Amino acid sequence: MNDAIVRIPRRTLLLALGAVAAVFLVIALVVTGVVARAADANTVASPAVLKTQQSAAERDVERAYEQAVTQVKKVRALNLAITAAQADAVAAKALNDLKLLRHSGLVSLGQVLGIAAAEVEATATATEQRFDQAPLTAQPAASPVLLAPRLYAIVARMSELATQLSDQATTDLTAPAATPAPTTAPSPSRTPTPSASPSARP
Amino acid sequence: MRPATRRFVAFWLIVPALLGVILASALDPRALPFTGHEQLSAVFLLDGQAYFGHLEDVPWSGTITLRDVYYFEDASKVATELPIALVKRGGELHQPVDVIRIRRDKVLVVERVSLESSVGQAIAAQRSLDRVAK
Repeated sequence: MNDAIVRIPRRTLLLALGAVAAVFLVIALVVTGVVARAADANTVASPAVLKTQQSAAERDVERAYEQAVTQVKKVRALNLAITAAQADAVAAKALNDLKLLRHSGLVSLGQVLGIAAAEVEATATATEQRFDQAPLTAQPAASPVLLAPRLYAIVARMSELATQLSDQATTDLTAPAATPAPTTAPSPSRTPTPSASPSARP
Repeated sequence: MRPATRRFVAFWLIVPALLGVILASALDPRALPFTGHEQLSAVFLLDGQAYFGHLEDVPWSGTITLRDVYYFEDASKVATELPIALVKRGGELHQPVDVIRIRRDKVLVVERVSLESSVGQAIAAQRSLDRVAK
């Protein structure tokens, strides 16, 4: 019986093993996502895009504020059960709280956008003044912008709190007028008298 | 290196690798690795949910992997200009790590997201804001 013998040079064998090892290494790198993570770039926004995002977020904060203010003013204009003085006090407090909330929202936006701490307050105040002079309702509609999640979180919280404030003001304004507590006329025969032990009645 | 070794390496390693690269670039030039182009993908599931992120799709796996994941949320009750909002995955109650694996049989469509789209720009802005926060 003749045995066939295949002679593989040592160098060829080493190269083949090296190639197999390299293939396994590449597969391992692909499967674990190392290549994908190393090769994929992470794009960041240009200053123009960030400015667009900032403007849209400011408009959203202002929109939440204006909607809440409109609701409070509409309810205040109704014929209410409470006195005018009470209604004015409730409405004034709600409007003041909404102003503070808007300011707080704009300050939060400035902080997230990386505006210097010393300038955040001034920037927020300037934005408020700009919107007070030209409310959104008087401006042409801007093209809608999908906000970055961090900015959306601020707008969503601002919107939620503004709704809560205006709803609370609506509840307070539409509450029934306070009526004097009913008083019972004293009656000698029905005055209860505490007794330690029950007494038998005839 | 000896000529025979050089020929072996060229034939079995370099030529196949180059062929693979050329084939890949024939499909999408921006798909080439290490070119500096971000590859954002949108994965639409059969139930209507959509996720955006960096896709790792290994053919022999039963799942696909998304990293740096974002998804849409209903924002119709928020005073935004759009009735939807983009949310970054990770802020949920169970604070998931920023990787999701999706069963391949639940995927309806996988699409490439343009970096100039609303979603692409919102994600880029989020990264800029994340850098500011750090």
